[in-house]
Parts: sequence; C-alpha cells; structure tokens
Amino acid sequence: MATKPDSIYRSLDRKAAAIVEFTLRQYRTKKSTWVVLGVGFTALSLIFMIYIDVMSSEFESIDNDGDSYDYDNDGYPTGQEVKLGTDPFNFESHPGLFDPPIEPEPASMYINEDGFDWDITTKIGEQSVGYDDDGDCLNVNRTDSQKDTNGNGIPCDIVVSFISTQSQLGDRIVIDVDADNGVDEDPDEDAYSREAIHLAFVLSIGKLGFVLLLGIFLPLFLATGLVRDEMTSGTMHFMLAKPIARSEIFLYRVIGYLGIVWPYVILLGILGGLVSGFVGSGDSFFRFADLGVWLAIVFATMMATLVYGMLFNALGVLWKYGIILAIPFAAWELGMALLSMGAPDSTLLRFSIIGWALMIVDAAAMMVWPNLDMFIEMGAWGGGGDGGTIFGSSLQGSAPLSFFSSKPGLGLSPFVATIISTLVLLLQAAVFWFLGSVLFKGKEIQ
Amino acid sequence: MMPDFDQQGAAQTKEWVPETNAPAILLENVSKSYGRIFALSNITLALNGGVTGILGMNGAGKSTLFNLLMGKLKVSQGTIKLFGTDPWKNPAPYARVGFVPEHEKMYDWMTAHGFVSTFARLNGLTRDEAGIEADRVLEFVGLTDVAHKKIGQFSKGMRQRVKIAHALVNDPELIILDEPLQGCDPLARTTIMNVIRELGKMGRTVLVSSHILQEIERITEQIVILHHGRLLALGNLHSIRERLDQIPHRISIQADNPKALAKDVIDIEEVFGISFPDGKNLSIQTHNLGAIHAQLPRIIVENNHKVTTIDNPDDDLASILGYLTSGGRV
Repeated sequence: MATKPDSIYRSLDRKAAAIVEFTLRQYRTKKSTWVVLGVGFTALSLIFMIYIDVMSSEFESIDNDGDSYDYDNDGYPTGQEVKLGTDPFNFESHPGLFDPPIEPEPASMYINEDGFDWDITTKIGEQSVGYDDDGDCLNVNRTDSQKDTNGNGIPCDIVVSFISTQSQLGDRIVIDVDADNGVDEDPDEDAYSREAIHLAFVLSIGKLGFVLLLGIFLPLFLATGLVRDEMTSGTMHFMLAKPIARSEIFLYRVIGYLGIVWPYVILLGILGGLVSGFVGSGDSFFRFADLGVWLAIVFATMMATLVYGMLFNALGVLWKYGIILAIPFAAWELGMALLSMGAPDSTLLRFSIIGWALMIVDAAAMMVWPNLDMFIEMGAWGGGGDGGTIFGSSLQGSAPLSFFSSKPGLGLSPFVATIISTLVLLLQAAVFWFLGSVLFKGKEIQ
Repeated sequence: MMPDFDQQGAAQTKEWVPETNAPAILLENVSKSYGRIFALSNITLALNGGVTGILGMNGAGKSTLFNLLMGKLKVSQGTIKLFGTDPWKNPAPYARVGFVPEHEKMYDWMTAHGFVSTFARLNGLTRDEAGIEADRVLEFVGLTDVAHKKIGQFSKGMRQRVKIAHALVNDPELIILDEPLQGCDPLARTTIMNVIRELGKMGRTVLVSSHILQEIERITEQIVILHHGRLLALGNLHSIRERLDQIPHRISIQADNPKALAKDVIDIEEVFGISFPDGKNLSIQTHNLGAIHAQLPRIIVENNHKVTTIDNPDDDLASILGYLTSGGRV
C-alpha cells in the first residue's frame, strides 16, 4: 500500500468521513427519518396540488370600465359609442344612424380591451407610462384637457410616482398612480391573475413551505438527537473512546445529518421548479426564469437547515429534552417569518435566522422579476380606482402577491443582500457550533 | 493540503507522543463527588503493564473510575493522567487506549465488521487500513465467521467480543474493560478470559473490572479492591488471600447425618468451632480454609458420610470486603 503523507486536512477528513458515513447509515435505518421526510414530502405535494388546481382554473374576465354595457339599449356597447362619438346614454344617438350605418360590435370586444403597458423600474420620482390601446382616451372628439386629466402635459398616459417615506419600520417607498381617463383601464384579469397567483405561489411555497416548514421541522426532528440520542442510549461511549475532540463529533454529526437533508431539499426544490415551470402562466412551454428563484429557495432552505441543525443539536446537548427548548425557538422563527413579509426592514428580524434566510429569497425574486413591485402596483390599481372608471378595483392575485413578496431589508441591492445574508447565516452556524461544542465539552457523560 | 477523498492505501499520521516514562495510568488523590456524595474518594494509583483486576461491589465506584479515565467525567479533586496527559482536556491519549464500555446498547443495525472498521477510522485510519484491522481483531476474538452478520442477531457473549474487538483496533497499549464477563455464557467467558490473558502476555496494560472474585482470580493475580469509593486493597491476590486466611471462615456442609460427621471433623486441628444451624447442615469454623479443604474429602470418604453440598458462604467478595472494612474483626 502506498503511504499517504499526512496533513491536518487528511487526518481530520478520515475521521469526518467515518462519522458522516456512520450518521448517514444510522439515519437510513431509522424509521423516524423516513416518517419525517415522508410527512414533509406529503405536505409540500398537497400545496403543489392546490397550486396546479388553481392554475388550471379560469379567472373570470371582468369589464373593469363598464364599456361593454349598452346603457341606452340601442344595441351598441358603450365603448363603441364613445369611440365613435355618439352619446352612450341616449337611445337616439348611436353609430347605426351614421351614413353609411356602422354595425354594432360584440360586447366581448370591450372586455379586457385595454391592458397594462407599463415598462419602468423603481426609482424615486415621477414616470410616465401606459398606452391607450382601445382609443377611448385618444378619441379625436376629446379635448386636450380631457385627454390629460392628470395634468402632466402628456395626453393619455399614467403618472407613476415613487415617493420615499419614513415610518417606524424604516424607509419605505410608496407608489402613487395617477392615470388619464381611459388609459389601461380594462386589463386582462385572466392574464394578470394567473401571473400574480403563480408568483404568489412560488414565493409562498418557497418561504413558508420550504424555508420555514422544512427549514425548521427537519432539524427539529432530525438534528436535536444527533448527540443527545447517543448520550441517552449510552452508545456515545464508543465515539468518545477514540482520539477525537468532542467539537469534531458535534460538527461531523451535523454534516452527516445535512447529507440526508440537503439532497432531500434539493430534490423537492427540483420538483417545485418543474411543477411551477410547466404549470405556471406564460407563453413558453417552460418558465425558465423562475428557476433562479427556486435556486434561491433551495439555497435558503439549505442554509436554514444548517443553522437550525447546529442550534437544535446544541440544545439537545444542553438538555435531554432539548426538543422542548427548540419549540420556543421555532415559534419565534414563525413569528419572524410572518414579520418579514409585512415589515422586511424590522430590526427584530436581524435577531432571527429565518429573517436572513428569507432575505435570500426576496433578493432572488427582485433579481429574477425586476418589475415585481410595478406588477403588484398595477394589480392593486386594477385599471381604475382614481381613473374615473366605473368598476375600478384591485385585481385578483395582487393582494397575496403583495403579502408574500417583500424587498430585502437593509435597503441593499439584491446581490449584496444575498451575500450578506449568506455570510450572516454561516456566522450564526459557526456560533451555534461553538456554543454546542462548549456545552458538549463541559458535559459529564454517565 | 487536499482532503483524503478515496481513503485508500495507508495513512501516515502524526502521532501524539506520550510523555516519556509516564505510566499508562496515573491517579493522584482523585476524588469524584456528586454534591455531598463521594463516588470516589482520594484514590492514588499508578499502573503500567500487566493485567489488573478492579474488584468491587455494584456501586463501589468502578464505572466512575473508568469514566474518569475515559474523559467522560471531570475529577472533583486530584489529577488523572493517561500516558502523562489529562484525558478530560485532551482526547489524544485515546490513540493508545481501547475501551470496552459496560453499556449493553450497541448499533444493532451494523455488522460486526462494519462497526469495528467504522470506529477504527476514528483513529485516523483510511478505509483500507480499517478493513484490514477489523479482520485482524475479529479473528483475535474468534468472530471471523460472523463478521458480516448484524450485531442485532448476536448473543450477549458475541456482543461483548465485538466490543472487545472494537477496542483492540489500532493496537492499544492500555485496554480498559468494564465488566466484560457480565451476562456471558461459559464459552464466551472462556474466550474473553483467554483474550485478556493473551493481551497481558503481549505486554499490554489491561484493566478489568468485575464484582465477582472468582472471575478475576482466573484472569489475574494483581487486583485492586474498591469499596464505597475507597481503595481498600491493592496488590497480589496471594498476599490478600493470606491475610484473608487469618480470619475465621465458615464452611457449610449439608449431610445426611451432620452430628456423626461433626465427630470426625472435630479431630482436624484447624477447626475451632462447630455448630448445627438446622437438622441437615453442619457449620465448621476455622482460621485456615486451605487446611480444611485439604483434609475434608478424605474424612468424608473414609467414614462413609453422605454429603450433598460443601459450601464456603464467606468466601465471596461481600465477606472479604466486610473483613477488610471492619479492620479484621468479623
């Protein structure tokens, strides 16, 4: 046999490989491992099924501006009468009286006839967007002042203003939408809601299903016993009787547990990416762009399982019933997860693990969907509200999307936010490893 | 600087170097207390080479002593050194120590070979080396046939032998066995005792604990007696025996006619008292157990007595401990 030269890496690595392999094999033989993994898979599969069901259903098209109605019963929808300059509320005035007479158009032409044409990015100040697709604003019969109801000097546009405000929860950007009458006032609900609900689902499954549920419950059930179970059953004696430091045992056991959990998270992430890629809205066969967000979701979950794994393992060392100590942490983290969605800038989040992990997802969402803010704002504006239209209200899907998406805190750019969150999470893992090692080193084992 | 990915071939490791001239085990005024209860008090002991039996009743402090040696407990007072290093602070000496814990729980899902080789790798061996080592030690304890069977299917005696095998990888200089014979069948007992004697012959320092004197007697002459956390006696079993021979012993004989037997027995010089606890038993008191046992069979056969049992109720650990602790009074 060739003799291998020694280096600290090599000899550490031999022990590490032994304990990691041992842990993997040990967990593979335990029924409880499979139960936990199975329950996680079932829970996420159910959410995926609900998602598929929602995406395959029709979203009702609404005539947001009411111009498909024929108020005066002359056979012509209001939209056609406005376009051609007759009085929509007068039975005696309609395009059928023109010479030559014009045939009435079907009412369905005036549903979803003026969709969003917004193409801007977030920056403080006013921006002009929108195009009047159906021509009810650009109508030649209108005066200049009728075409420019928001008074910015540009006819038939929408003014979107980003206003920076300060609140208790930090700086926030408030968006104000002021449209000229009749611009982008009747969007396509099905297209918008399908997209919005798709995005909301990806974010909610990612944040709640993956980072929170898997990120906390896998370590809760699989990592708390990494050292504790060995101590209570008396088998720790075999490991401690070898020339290996306790902090090494602690670390290698966690790596072994990650050897089970990380592939599992990656597999579920691939499943999620496939399901949402094929089922999600869009013209293409597969939504490749979303894979970036899924990558971040998987990465954030892996980081969460690492940090919680170290923490819960340390709690297991601290006390025989460490899982009881872990539950308040899990509850705190649940609260922080919800807080991060409502107030991503809250300082409290910096004292959590999940706050940093979710920041990775938020940052990725911002990178992959740069117009997400705009998109939410469009839906909330819903083609009306202040546009003088009749049925102006927010569109289905914009509220949940607005809830589940948030900007990465600290006002950082997405790329920097990802790097900082990752570093903080690694630091947290290192701190919990250190604490766990100190506890374990001082522990007397009977 | 690269990690050892394939773990093939032989490892060259920087070994921890023990202090020169330091004994394998050195305890100086070691005490271990839980609150106000002393599990061990003021033990001073140095061992190097040969087989030593640690004798004591359950709860005498044998396991506490071993747990202190194995760095699982921290001493309350005094110092413990394994090859000159404090095991609580530094696990390095375990590169030269093999430990057989008392706990029965093992990894039932592993094969004997898998268990031994996995834990051998914690000594810094590569996969290859660990496999070869495991084969060697399993052969040493006579488990080659069942090396690839699951530990869960093993009998108590086989499990003990697997534990011993696991302790012998890396060829340790000090082997500590906590109650290795407990619950074993006679065959396993013989095998384990042979293994221990063999290790002693190989010049290793072996420490075996037991609460049964006869067991220890068959393995070693050098014993340490622990009682209520104190070191009662230390040294050669013969010398302790000799001291024990000076104390009154009782021999209990169950016979058909105890009174007739008593008449013949009273002629033996060393007998100083006879009593009849009940109708069937005869109890003889003596200072010299050996002399009685030398003459008793002849007397019984010559006089044609019908004897069912001969028993030394005192010749157990409890009475020896009783004698040693009471300062010679019985």
